Amino acid sequence: MQGVKKTVVYNVSRGAELGADGGLVRAPIVPVETEAAVEFDADIGGEHMLINIGPQHPATHGVLRLVLELDGETVIKCTPHIGYLHSSFEKLGEYRDWNQIIPLTDRMDYLAPLIYNCAYAMAVEKMMGVEVTERCKVVRVILMEMDRIFSHLLWLGTTGIDLGAFTIFLYTFQERERIYNLHEAYTGARITTSATRIGGMMADLPPGWIEGLMEFVRTFPRTLAEVDTLLTNNSIWIGRTQDVGLISAEDAVNFGLSGANLRASGVDYDVRKDRPYYDYQTYEFDVPIGEQGDIYDRYLCRMEEMRQSLRIIEQAVDRLPGGSINVDDPRVILPTKTAAMNDMESMIHHFKVVMEGVRAPVGESWFSVESSKGELGMYVVSDGGSKPVRWRVRGPSFINIAALPYMIEGALLSDVIAVNASLDIVLGEIDR
Amino acid sequence: MSEGEFRKGLDALDSGPAESPKEAPSPPPQPEGLPPHPTVEALRERFVEAIGRHVMVAGDEHIVYVDRDRSLEILQWLRDDPAQRYDFLQDLTAIDYGNGVSLQVVYQLWSTIHKRNVRIKVELPLDALELESVYYVWRASDWLEREVYDMFGVVFTGHPDLRRILMPYNYAEGYPLRKDFPLRGRFSRAEQTRRALSMKTEDHYSPRELEIAARLGQRLPDVMPEGGPGIPSPESSPDGRED
Amino acid sequence: MGLNDPSRGGAPGTEARSLPGHPDGSGQGGVFSGAPGFLTTRLDAVVNWSRENSLWPMPFGTACCAIEMMATAASRYDLARFGMERMSFSPRQADMLICAGRVPYKMASVLRRIWEQMPQPKWAISMGACASSGGVFDAYSMVQGIDTIIPVDVYVPGCPPRPEGLIYGILMIQEKIRRSKPTEDWIAEEDLIEGLPTLSPETVDLIAAPFGNSTNQNRSSGLISTGAVVRPNDRQP
Repeated sequence: MQGVKKTVVYNVSRGAELGADGGLVRAPIVPVETEAAVEFDADIGGEHMLINIGPQHPATHGVLRLVLELDGETVIKCTPHIGYLHSSFEKLGEYRDWNQIIPLTDRMDYLAPLIYNCAYAMAVEKMMGVEVTERCKVVRVILMEMDRIFSHLLWLGTTGIDLGAFTIFLYTFQERERIYNLHEAYTGARITTSATRIGGMMADLPPGWIEGLMEFVRTFPRTLAEVDTLLTNNSIWIGRTQDVGLISAEDAVNFGLSGANLRASGVDYDVRKDRPYYDYQTYEFDVPIGEQGDIYDRYLCRMEEMRQSLRIIEQAVDRLPGGSINVDDPRVILPTKTAAMNDMESMIHHFKVVMEGVRAPVGESWFSVESSKGELGMYVVSDGGSKPVRWRVRGPSFINIAALPYMIEGALLSDVIAVNASLDIVLGEIDR
Repeated sequence: MSEGEFRKGLDALDSGPAESPKEAPSPPPQPEGLPPHPTVEALRERFVEAIGRHVMVAGDEHIVYVDRDRSLEILQWLRDDPAQRYDFLQDLTAIDYGNGVSLQVVYQLWSTIHKRNVRIKVELPLDALELESVYYVWRASDWLEREVYDMFGVVFTGHPDLRRILMPYNYAEGYPLRKDFPLRGRFSRAEQTRRALSMKTEDHYSPRELEIAARLGQRLPDVMPEGGPGIPSPESSPDGRED
Repeated sequence: MGLNDPSRGGAPGTEARSLPGHPDGSGQGGVFSGAPGFLTTRLDAVVNWSRENSLWPMPFGTACCAIEMMATAASRYDLARFGMERMSFSPRQADMLICAGRVPYKMASVLRRIWEQMPQPKWAISMGACASSGGVFDAYSMVQGIDTIIPVDVYVPGCPPRPEGLIYGILMIQEKIRRSKPTEDWIAEEDLIEGLPTLSPETVDLIAAPFGNSTNQNRSSGLISTGAVVRPNDRQP
């Protein structure tokens, strides 16, 4: 918990000014002419060079491509090029009915698939006015918090590799394998879970699953403590991460950062607290807030978020109610197999829901949850048909990575990899 | 089950996106006495005629349609006015309903101070897809506007670096998320593959980078050069661009 | 799908890569079986043995499959057991390309370039449904199977494949190496024509044609045919 405060609203120590209403006063960004940003001097011109990193590079966490203009080892200008994984999710979504989109969602963020499944289903349910059952709500909270740990573990391992600590990768993957097993026991898949349906889940939790989860919750803190021992006070780690990749609170808000990247800069914004969904306001958990906005603070925030997720899981398991996991709404939910096989109405109902798809009324909804990367927004627009007019995803990584040039211009080349790793990006959701 | 019914079911699978009416479908009539939203009232007071209709969807989401000519002014005011302070641009995107209906550009705003949401929509007729950029209001809009340009072809005037972001810079098939764009693109698969494989180094760099490389007298970092595999060609032209 | 069609022109590399010297599969009973040419056979066995047990993979990971590839290399599945603990992130020191994940057209030239940078002899694994066939991403931006771009030796199915699946695919590559004859066929002929697909345009169109019923298809099954969207004028000069 070193360096992590829990109750800060805004960090004022680093030059940010508080306005009369408690908000930050920010000067308007002065427009800069593109040409003026690069001054070509005939004398030093020859010393600059362009360096291309990616799109196939082990340290870009996927297929990100950066073109850096260097003066010696100092980054003068950084231009990310994305789109090397553009899979046309949003176009495909317009050709699929509402339930068929769910398998696409977990291929977007394959590091935390269940959060994506849940967020999409929640957006469509909100648009349709379907209220899921209490059991479904608690189960989704459990799954989302489990995948927050799942995603942060991968971030920890790969960032460790990028900064030269390979051990962490093996430690975290050992724990990830246990979550893989939990995924598999519930959904049958290790990564591409596709667990939610509009109005419920694909199935109830299998017997014994909660016990397996609690075993993980009980033993996982030990590994976390080991990683903490290895990294938090490690002088190499501190040297590579502290005061690197700084971004102030005001800039972080203006750049639209979210998640741990924003909170590390001292902005107290967490969708779970600010616009609570699924009764998050009744769970007891803290939101870690950083002070400096550097890589080290992001690391501390994510470590603490994992501990807080464990707390939430414990509370959720305690309050897990019985009853049906699917809402009793014939618009969205299939009849039971027995009913479909035995009476004509149920069979026609089954046929219509499967073949024509769920029909959503005219309307739209922009709904966001706190994913492991930041604020994940799902925007669904319906014109009354069984397929969306528009399905839009506000990928948190997409907006977080846009701030990368701002953070690394003026820094050293070796910091580029560290800063890029610290943003916790996943290219599937950046490129969509 | 009759044969006809079965076929109808199969046809439903093949029908693609639902047929859209000639106008953007509007949600069912609002209940009388829409719950007031402080921002909407303030907007109406200040920008009287520039504010269009106010709709509420999905229970608690307020949408305000604003005039395209004054959108930048309105959005800037929403960010700066002490009673509004929408300092966090959550999302910027567009919707194409197809059938010649006006394209809608959507701004989803959040105030970290007042903890409020509002959604601003600007309607653009398909023959005039131009809108003022909010790049200098929220820097978050930088890539979001580029994405809308890439996918819908909306030109944001005042954006300093408006170019394609997800598709290749030399993409020639159009704007993929428009409704008139076919799912598999306009070219045949063989043609798409051929074009992809014949991309040159220049196609991977932005015009600005090409200019920097030219002025620095540097050969471009090697992505897909001409010549044989593996061996960099010794006689590359001095400005680094091989024709 | 017509993949085995002899009219599959424009793919001269593929014939050369398919176990030259063994058109009928003879002599594949094992490397130590008594084949003509005692010395070369022994040499083959030694070379193959060393090659197959020290493969250096080049992980070309893009999406979900890359995460499973990482899991394969990590603690539990431990790819190092098969002599592959050195993941080679430079294509110039690698001899097996693992293409894990979907490949958009924007990435196609990069993939081809990396394949060309790898020295002979080299092998390619197409990991996962998207790399092998485009998978669910039958849309405007996606390559419908990387075999239209580079020659592929082993396809690993799955979305994504489990680590066991990838390991099995790698074992199949080792099996293929064990059966090859390096003394006779030191460098596999490979005519990848600059800027052109590995297959003829007709074949690319054929294997990339829509199938299944997941999206709005113009050839959904044998049952019905809907108004097919034919776009004859799409081809640009």
